[in-house]
Amino acid sequence: MKKNIAVLMGGRSLEREISIKSGQRVSNALKKLGHNVIKLDIDESIVDNLNSEKIDLAYIALHGKDGEDGTIQEILEVLNIPYTGPGVYPNILSFDKIISKQIFISLGIPTPPFYFLNASSFRELGSSKLLPFIVKKIGLPLVVKPSAQGSALGIKLVNKAEDLPDAIISALGYSKKVILEKFIDGIELAVSIIGKEKPKALPVVEIVPKKKFFDFESRSKIGETDYFVPARISSSLNEKVEEVAIAVHNSLKCTKLSRVDIMLDRKEKIPYVLELNTSPGMTDTSLLPMAAEEAGISFEELIDKIIKMSLSD
Amino acid sequence: MSKKITFDYWQHLYSNRTENMFSSEIRDLLSLSARPDIISFAGGLPEVRALNFQKLERYIKRILKADGDISLQYGGSDGYYPLRTKLIEVMKLEGLDVVEEDIITTTGGQQALDLLAKVFINPGDTIIVESPAYTGALNSFSSYEAKIIEIPVDDNGIDISSLEERLKEQEKKKVQVKFIYLVPNFSNPSGRTLSLHRRKKILELAKKYRTIILEDNPYGMLRYEGKPLPTIKELDTKGDNQNVIYLSTLSKLFAPGFRIGWIVAPHPILEKIILGIQSTILCVSTFTQRIAYEYFSDPSWSENIDEFIKIYSKRRDVMLKTLEESFPEGSDWSKPKGGFFIWLKLPDYLNTKEILADAVRNKVAYVPGSGFYADDRGLSEARLAFCTENTERIEKGIKILSRIVKEKIKLYKSFK
Repeated sequence: MKKNIAVLMGGRSLEREISIKSGQRVSNALKKLGHNVIKLDIDESIVDNLNSEKIDLAYIALHGKDGEDGTIQEILEVLNIPYTGPGVYPNILSFDKIISKQIFISLGIPTPPFYFLNASSFRELGSSKLLPFIVKKIGLPLVVKPSAQGSALGIKLVNKAEDLPDAIISALGYSKKVILEKFIDGIELAVSIIGKEKPKALPVVEIVPKKKFFDFESRSKIGETDYFVPARISSSLNEKVEEVAIAVHNSLKCTKLSRVDIMLDRKEKIPYVLELNTSPGMTDTSLLPMAAEEAGISFEELIDKIIKMSLSD
Repeated sequence: MSKKITFDYWQHLYSNRTENMFSSEIRDLLSLSARPDIISFAGGLPEVRALNFQKLERYIKRILKADGDISLQYGGSDGYYPLRTKLIEVMKLEGLDVVEEDIITTTGGQQALDLLAKVFINPGDTIIVESPAYTGALNSFSSYEAKIIEIPVDDNGIDISSLEERLKEQEKKKVQVKFIYLVPNFSNPSGRTLSLHRRKKILELAKKYRTIILEDNPYGMLRYEGKPLPTIKELDTKGDNQNVIYLSTLSKLFAPGFRIGWIVAPHPILEKIILGIQSTILCVSTFTQRIAYEYFSDPSWSENIDEFIKIYSKRRDVMLKTLEESFPEGSDWSKPKGGFFIWLKLPDYLNTKEILADAVRNKVAYVPGSGFYADDRGLSEARLAFCTENTERIEKGIKILSRIVKEKIKLYKSFK
């Protein structure tokens, strides 16, 4: 049945550009499915815009701040507008990588060892003196990343201790806390989870960046990274990876949709969980649509599935 | 069976030059600067609101009524002749004495750069640019696969001794430098102006090494203080061969939306450029050239320039004053006497690309310096455009930037 669907895209996040690409593609698919599409950028008039028309569903194509931190979900809750993707609580948990990693640890889900530091603790508590200890405890190379940011913005791989300050200062441009995490030499995998009562994993995508590290450029530039679907791993390992991903999805109380990023340790074959995304990219080069296609689900069918699931909330 | 995903089925067909075109982190961050809540020092957008729109409407009506059939038709590849007569008048104000046959119009200054690159550059050819240089020029030259030599600029423009050194070195290697590109007045991005002495020297060098100077002069008439200097083209009077190709645009004197630029060059070169125009666009828009002709036929156009100068100079003053009052020690910036841009230099350990994320989160945008170099220099530099925002927003934006820079310095020092 034809529905009025607001596609929320753009916004104030640093991932605005990617979000617009996701939003456009989703909008085109929704139109093809016969729905009435209202494209909305997120600014000071968003509440008025959401109120001014009868909206049956909001499709959240936002990435990062506002879209994946519970902000827009809470607005939609107040306005009683059903929306796609997980609710307020899972968004809050997953957006702060420190909180979600602590949850993984408490549930025995493997995640790379890490420490986090506040910007103010460097300025006021002399935290820089901790760096040699952290290096000693975790070892090099280290991954330095902002605690709340997507699309690999502000993430750096640090091989030498003397490069840590620059990487930390850079990461702190994106959020107030920085994570120093052990670099896992492994196979990078993305597992998309879809479904309400019984969430299921879509075929696992294997990411092979041409550089050593899957950074912003590798993610956004065609040809910088090779992708293989399903991942070139044994079926027993594949099963283990999917199991962990579903456990992660459940641990953060996610519903309907998410994407879990995992690093499969090359030697020990342990699937280390890096993070969970509540609003996975939907662009031509995004991982979720890629996985769906392998499962025989076209982009339009995928959007249709997401819409139906979210309308029956 | 696992399979490798192919996103772009035509990847095996693309030319090598597409390798140089890609999306960058900076571009994504700067896409946010289009939002009205962001104070943008990023784009050099002229204040077109200062134009008299009613007058423009009258011109357009008159054109359609009087000779709509001609103004909507194809035109000559060398440009609309009556407009060229007006461009001569404009250039006269800058001291240049040329005739209609010396000029061709282009679709903006950017197409002029592309055409010149097309006419002169074979893959692997060597060219020289001032450094930092206008990104649009760098992109155009590298898309023709030029080998770019960068010569640093100081407060008096391009450094002549290193220019000479590099020219000598190339000659020794039997490499012909195809041209030297620079914006001598209030350069984009550095805001700096080439001194008279250096204008003369660079011309001597061009003659000695039998190369051409591409003198790009979009901002010359937007001078807010001091006496105008002669263009290099004007100085090029000795000898039979002219070594200067002069290019400019109406984007800053009128409006960028009309996309009109022009080239003044020796006739054999113009012949080649016209062939280039024919193979790309046939002719520059007849209609917009006709509007520009009307605009420059009305003597009041120079009053508009005065108005632009009044607006921009006030904005420049506020930006310079706020920088002076709020920026921390160790930072430095150019003090342009005209144009659109101030070039900011922060302490070496700070990275403007990384500070941009913080700035954009705090609703201020600028262009990090690295985009104006062909290699990976300029990391602690940035271009600030003062032409776009009003004075209150300029003051507010510079104060926000200064706060962020101070925080970064404090953070950096905590590691020492």
